[in-house]
Amino acid sequence: MAKQYDVLFRLLLLGDSGVGKTCLLCRFTDNEFHPSHISTIGVDFKMKTLVIDGIKVRIQIWDTAGQERYQTITKQYYRRAQGIFLVYDITSERSFQHIMKWASDVDEYAPDKVQKILVGNKSDEVDKRQVATEQGVKLAKAYGMDFFETSAFTNHNITETFTRLAEQVLAANKKDLDLLRMSINDEINLAALEEEEGLLCDGAAGDQGKGCWC
Amino acid sequence: MDQSVAIQETLEREENCKIAVQCDVLFDDIAESRLLGLVESAEEHAIFIYTHRRMAITADDVSLEDVIPICLDFAVVEVSSPEELAVVGGDTRVRVSYQEEELELRLPFGSHSRLFLGEVNRAWSDVCKSPAQVPKFEWINKYHKGTRGQGVVKQALTPLSTTLNKLSQHRKTEKSSDKKGTSEREKGSNSGTQKSRLPSSPESQGISSREDRDDLVRSSSHTPSNKAQILAMPQFGLRDNLIRCELLKNEDLYTYLEDFSFFLGTYNVNGQPPKESLSPWLSHTPNPPDMYCVGFQELDLSKEAFFFNDTPKEMEWTKAVTEALHPDAKYALVKLVRLVGIMLIFYVKKEHAEFISDVEAETVGTGIMGRMGNKGAVAIRFRFHNSDICVVNSHLAAHIEEYERRNQDYKDICSRLQFRPLDFTQPPLTIMKHDVILWIGDLNYRISDLDADNVKELISKKEFETLHSYDQLKRQIDEEAVFVGFVEGEIDFQPTYKYDTGSDLWDTSEKCRVPAWCDRILWRGKNIKQQHYQSHMALKTSDHKPVSSLLVAGIKRINTEAYKKTFEEIVRNIDKMENECIPSVTLAKQEFHFKDVKYMQHQAATLSLFNDGQVPCQFEFIQKPNESTYCKPWLTANPPKGFIAQGGSVEIELEVFVNRSTAPDLNSGKEQIEDILVLHLERGKDYFIPVTGNYLPSCYGTSIHSLCHMREPIQDMPQETLRKLVEMSVKENAANTEKPLDIPKELWMMVDHLFRNAIKQEDIFQQPGLRSEFADIRDCLDTGMPDSLPGSNHSVAEALLLFLDALPEPVVPFSFYQQCLESCSNASQCEKTISMLPQCHQNVFNYLAAFLRELLKNSAVNRLDVNILATIFASLLLRSPTKQDLAEKRKTQEFFQHFLTQGST
Repeated sequence: MAKQYDVLFRLLLLGDSGVGKTCLLCRFTDNEFHPSHISTIGVDFKMKTLVIDGIKVRIQIWDTAGQERYQTITKQYYRRAQGIFLVYDITSERSFQHIMKWASDVDEYAPDKVQKILVGNKSDEVDKRQVATEQGVKLAKAYGMDFFETSAFTNHNITETFTRLAEQVLAANKKDLDLLRMSINDEINLAALEEEEGLLCDGAAGDQGKGCWC
Repeated sequence: MDQSVAIQETLEREENCKIAVQCDVLFDDIAESRLLGLVESAEEHAIFIYTHRRMAITADDVSLEDVIPICLDFAVVEVSSPEELAVVGGDTRVRVSYQEEELELRLPFGSHSRLFLGEVNRAWSDVCKSPAQVPKFEWINKYHKGTRGQGVVKQALTPLSTTLNKLSQHRKTEKSSDKKGTSEREKGSNSGTQKSRLPSSPESQGISSREDRDDLVRSSSHTPSNKAQILAMPQFGLRDNLIRCELLKNEDLYTYLEDFSFFLGTYNVNGQPPKESLSPWLSHTPNPPDMYCVGFQELDLSKEAFFFNDTPKEMEWTKAVTEALHPDAKYALVKLVRLVGIMLIFYVKKEHAEFISDVEAETVGTGIMGRMGNKGAVAIRFRFHNSDICVVNSHLAAHIEEYERRNQDYKDICSRLQFRPLDFTQPPLTIMKHDVILWIGDLNYRISDLDADNVKELISKKEFETLHSYDQLKRQIDEEAVFVGFVEGEIDFQPTYKYDTGSDLWDTSEKCRVPAWCDRILWRGKNIKQQHYQSHMALKTSDHKPVSSLLVAGIKRINTEAYKKTFEEIVRNIDKMENECIPSVTLAKQEFHFKDVKYMQHQAATLSLFNDGQVPCQFEFIQKPNESTYCKPWLTANPPKGFIAQGGSVEIELEVFVNRSTAPDLNSGKEQIEDILVLHLERGKDYFIPVTGNYLPSCYGTSIHSLCHMREPIQDMPQETLRKLVEMSVKENAANTEKPLDIPKELWMMVDHLFRNAIKQEDIFQQPGLRSEFADIRDCLDTGMPDSLPGSNHSVAEALLLFLDALPEPVVPFSFYQQCLESCSNASQCEKTISMLPQCHQNVFNYLAAFLRELLKNSAVNRLDVNILATIFASLLLRSPTKQDLAEKRKTQEFFQHFLTQGST
């Protein structure tokens, strides 16, 4: 019987303050929704396990402060991510405009192989919509990203979005994974499991020290 | 100003003053200023207590009064009197005790004092860590001799107090003694003093004081605890185990039972080769069974088999079995295991093969010496669908009277037979851990208490039930002495032992054995039914007859859908648990604003952290990228890292303090009071804490050049102008719109004040001023132009020194420093150098020199001399751009002396 093994990915939620990054995360991990907005001042994370193609994928999802004053600091978290959600609010034209800026920051600070996905949140607020679905589709196409409109409130497309990005990250790292799978034999596979941390995050060993950005 | 430099100058090369702090020593109602230095040598630490004049700059300013070694008998305890509630910004009072000596100190509020106490504590806890290594403090001895005469201080050395320490008393008596006492004193310091000074052995130490220390160590140092780390760390192996456990617990949710048939056969072949077809034994069932578990005993009785565990019979009998399996199905041989003559072969119907996993085989010998393989058991375990099954074939001890030995063999097999675990984190798997256990073999239990004829008669009448009550195995099972929990089906076949080989006749040898049911089949587990249990008389190869049984067992099969659902549910719950265990704290305040921050004035605020998570947590302020420290230099967080128990809280003091190195950029508006602290929880989140404030610019830390262009008080100047002034001084040639002042008006106000009021002041520039008065003077200079300055003459004098000290570019600019050193011996050269200074610097220099010469005219009253003034002012006016050594220092003094004596020549 094939031994299961774990893979750990880091995904990062980016976007303007108030677009609903924390709500997306809460809905996905705890299936909860809190309507009141409390600004995230700092960087928070939660864990979630998914099974994709029979592989147990554990994802660590980082929720960042969206406020502009913190952006020089939050940028430093990009380089540890394998996947990034660029989130805007369909009721805020401004947050959609800012996606360009977020995307260029990602290009500058995140690893080259990073996978991105565009997310238009608050799809339930039809009456207040300022950004048409087509606009989102168009922008995503221009960047070569997948696009989802979601609602943390109604739980629309949440699992789909997270799973999709996780699948993309898995696919992007397939080569490394296959190599790993091949190198695993009965004797060492358990040990490899224990060292899950070391998997697919380059330079993880050096990041264990103090003052690290993890 | 770092006064440790002054202390360092008094020390030997290998001694290092780690940190110094100015404090008040309290004696009843009197408080006297002292300088404390924490001095380290060869990993031993001592507190050096100095009397000093004003702010100590050089070795001449300090005089050693006492040395307190930091050993086991040493303690520092924070004192808080009930009427003095702890207030942020209040002074820190501590009691230092050493043996029977006690000293009460008042340290100024601020991080520097905290740092000092922290260092002292660390030194002390290092001592405590290795109490076996009693520190010797030999390097201190030389100071004990020297403390008396060394002081440059002109005023008489005031004894600290009578309660302060025995040592100062000791010294007092020494002092009063005449020269005759010198030899005695030396003896004393070598024997008596030393003895009392040297740390006593650990056991003499009082318990209470140790507790005090522990408390202090606990409160001041932030012990990083591994525990927190371990508790908060997601253990991935643990995670897998948790999932496994939960899956097992909820097995009913995703499995259902399906019946499968197991054919079990056991045959003691008495060392014979197969001579006839085994079909009558193995394939007499109407339908082909799903599994075959066929066991043999005494496969080979030769010495070779016994000693080398090697026999051709294995092949022969396996072939015979394979050929005799049920013809209506195809079987795969999954596993064969043999120990000498005990063999077990396991076959499975082809279509079930893919559901067999985790197959393991083991053997245990219980024969000669309790170890050899002539007796014992072999076993095969495997997983079929979701059930774990173990088949055991055993050959237990022979002879009618040995039933207890057989019981023991059974127990030994159960305890000694262990399968390799599926996962190395698990303990080894024993027989009893399986869902289904099938036990076959020549168990060798006999029929006792009846003679052979009786038995044979009962057999011929087929009165098996009567015989059962004489069967040793049935009796032992009833007594729960063996095979506890096992079931055996009804035996309605005649005993299978012992026959004349090749016949159905009972043993006719002279031993004439009593017939017995040696060969048995038992099982343990739920949902098992027996279809048949019988012997096979047709086979005549051996002195035993083979036995077979068909069992139908309910096997747990997995419902894939339900399994997925259960698995996901479990994983979800574990994720949830894990997320709840991520360290977390709440911050009482998210943002900090410091209003009206002033030069050299502490401001503090408290950041309260409450651990609202489910685990203890470790916090630390971490550096932002491209920054060398976790915060701007004018900010400190105390403690910067630490540990919070679950439900506990910690108060972190955020302090803003602008000193001479941070003031220039803040004055000019190049820097703001603005920072974001990143509070990191180990294995948890990061919090951003913005710190903002407004800074009130000050003449302290502003360049002479800029000040000369300010006709208004600095705080009345627009920010823009201040910034431009700095830019202007960079490119000197910028067109000046207005003629600058000759010298900064602030400098003039201080000097003029002193000239008018303090020219005859005793000990001017020698006595420290008051901190509160300095603040008044600074505010006065920064906000207005009053006729006179507040505060005592000493305070104004100190304010002047601090002003010079705070200049970003000293009066003699750094670029001229080297030239000054070179010309120091030649008076005219010195003057020439000064004449080359930028105009405003030159003005300031000459103005100060003139003022000091005026002071010297009154030296009889104010007790100043050229040496004192040169020492003080040279170090402020001629600062080295790098580190200054003693020779350079002397040269700067020599340089400046020319200007102090100028007037008189």
